[in-house]
Amino acid sequence: MAEEQKKLKFCINDHRDVLVEILKRLDARSLGVAACVCRLWCSITRNDALWEHLCFRHVSPPPSGVRTVVVALGGYKRLYMVCVKPVLSRLAGAKIGSDGRGTGGGGNGGDSDLTRRVWRRHGAQMSLSLLCVDCYERLGGRLGDASASSLMFLCEPVNF
Amino acid sequence: MKREHQESGRKYPLTGGEGCSSKGKMRDEGRGDGSMDEELAVLGYQVKSSDMADVAEKLVQLDMAMGTVQEDGISHLSCDTIHYNPSDISCWLESMLYELNPCQTSDPNSSFSSIQSPILGQHPQSSIFSSAKQSQFYEDNSEYDLRAIPGIAACKSSGPTPDFQIEGSFKRLKYDSGQISTLPVKSEATDGSVPEPARPLVLVDSQEAGVRLVHTLMACAEAVQNDNLQIADALVKRISLLAVSQAGAMQKVATYFAEGLARRIYKIYPQKSSIDSSYSDILQMHFYETCPYLKFAHFTANQAILEAFAGAAKVHVIDFSMKQGTQWPALLQALALRPGGPPTFRLTEIGPPQPDNPDALQQVGWKLTQFADAIGVEFHYQFVCESLADLEPSMLDIRPGADETVAVNSVFELHRLLAQPGAIEKVLSTVKAIRPKIVTIVEQEANHNGPVFLDRFNEALHYYSTLFDSLEGFALTQSNSKDLVMSEVFLGRQICNIVACEGSERVERHEALAQWRARMESAGFEPVHLGSNAFKQASILLALLSGGDGYRVEETNGCLMLGWHTRPLIATSAWRQAA
Repeated sequence: MAEEQKKLKFCINDHRDVLVEILKRLDARSLGVAACVCRLWCSITRNDALWEHLCFRHVSPPPSGVRTVVVALGGYKRLYMVCVKPVLSRLAGAKIGSDGRGTGGGGNGGDSDLTRRVWRRHGAQMSLSLLCVDCYERLGGRLGDASASSLMFLCEPVNF
Repeated sequence: MKREHQESGRKYPLTGGEGCSSKGKMRDEGRGDGSMDEELAVLGYQVKSSDMADVAEKLVQLDMAMGTVQEDGISHLSCDTIHYNPSDISCWLESMLYELNPCQTSDPNSSFSSIQSPILGQHPQSSIFSSAKQSQFYEDNSEYDLRAIPGIAACKSSGPTPDFQIEGSFKRLKYDSGQISTLPVKSEATDGSVPEPARPLVLVDSQEAGVRLVHTLMACAEAVQNDNLQIADALVKRISLLAVSQAGAMQKVATYFAEGLARRIYKIYPQKSSIDSSYSDILQMHFYETCPYLKFAHFTANQAILEAFAGAAKVHVIDFSMKQGTQWPALLQALALRPGGPPTFRLTEIGPPQPDNPDALQQVGWKLTQFADAIGVEFHYQFVCESLADLEPSMLDIRPGADETVAVNSVFELHRLLAQPGAIEKVLSTVKAIRPKIVTIVEQEANHNGPVFLDRFNEALHYYSTLFDSLEGFALTQSNSKDLVMSEVFLGRQICNIVACEGSERVERHEALAQWRARMESAGFEPVHLGSNAFKQASILLALLSGGDGYRVEETNGCLMLGWHTRPLIATSAWRQAA
């Protein structure tokens, strides 16, 4: 009886570190859903550290010293939403052969895992570069054109 | 002739197996006739020697028709159809073709009307007909046919006959490559082309119109070269009529080239207006956003510079290209994140004075300084407001004692120097005096600087057709089509410059990588190989494009080239001083 009472008294919200550990392992969409649960969860998921983990989860070893740069460019959440997510999804869809073509021809057998990791790392670096260009363009506005659109090519195609 | 004979000889056993079984009975008849082909007569087939070519063609048609007809579409040929006199191959082929497609006959004068097929009922909707429709929409692939076009167009507006010969030979070429042409081979006159060049044409097949358009463009260019301005004038008008019938890339390319030709003929040269430079900057920005060429150039050049800067504590980049400075944020970020921390970064921009926007270079500097501050890189900026040809080493504030590593960068700028004699040599010797660790050059991979106008025109036609083709893929994916239109205007201005201008006005003097290589090597530079990192970056960039399945990255002798399908379009190379 006493043990059951103990179990009932366990509330995840009392153990924030455990909660963070669990939320770290979610994907972006689930994080968004989690943010709708309650105010505590909302504030935790808005924490940039979670998004940092999300961005570089598959990149090993994780790049060092990136944090200051990314924070300056707008934070990890922005990096993820604007760049990393479309980049990684495009790369996952397009199997990159060694001959530099964008599509077709998947990696072979045992190499494919290594290849995927290598490409993810480069993809993450590329996302960072693209985010830089985007931020630069937003600085101080351009010649009369307020919207920076150098990342337009990452947007999903619109079907008319 | 002999070849066709052998071909038809080979075909007989094939069709004999599929066709009617009654044919086999005829084989033993050894009828011979003076006018009949003797070898076939031995086998029992009656074919007039004069008809041999015709029969061979019909056999090819029948073969294709049988191959493309859908499932079980030909079984009626063996069961239901009655074959009259199959030993008369010519007529038998007519009837077979009629069976497969009652709407199409190859020879309107044939005597097949005397042969009636009793079963006309349920023919499967023949795929000859549906593929006919396909070839009507078979548009942009005609771009690749450009390679097959003979060098000089024989088309003069006064004589239609040479034109027909070319058209006829084209139809034959298409036939042999396995395509089914809707138009009967013999009727060249369906498109109503008559000697009068200004009469509007009724065009049946857009693919044929595309070929005709290219021919007319080349004929017009030849007329311009020979100074036949009246003929050229008439042809230019014809081009605009033909261009309307095309769609997509071909139409745009033809329109721009026609405009260039018209300007050249009427001597209306594009004036340099006061808002020109900022306008071209805007256009270039849109070009940057739409397609990968500039991004490819920037990323590969940055990678080469980054590798050259490895281990340096002070770096200095001299940039000939200016243009909003979009290349540098990515390099600054990469330097900020390198192991060991960022170096001290000095950037010198060189650009011609712009009357409409005198602060352009300064503004770029402010933005870059702001950016560099944000990411924590020590950044110094200076600019030199001079035209590149007037560059002196003293303007560049080189500090030899400061132990700086210097890089020189030029993206699509060096070719402009070729318009002034001696300018390129002067600039290269200035570069040598700077003693850079690396020189990165990105240029268009095409030769638009030959001495003969017609050659330049043809080269440019091929190049820009490919370029516009590659942009077509983005037309479907960009939600903002304004970017695409601006990019096309950007390229259109280049076309206009190549075609219409001469002398020091013609600044778009592109040269191929091989020519630049020769020039750099004679100036005392040796190539630096771009490593696999640059290649991977380029590959990833291409993988990210949603409309860009046709792009290819190639590596040639350490230089990277970005191309569309098989045609390389821009090339990045890196150089250092030869030891």
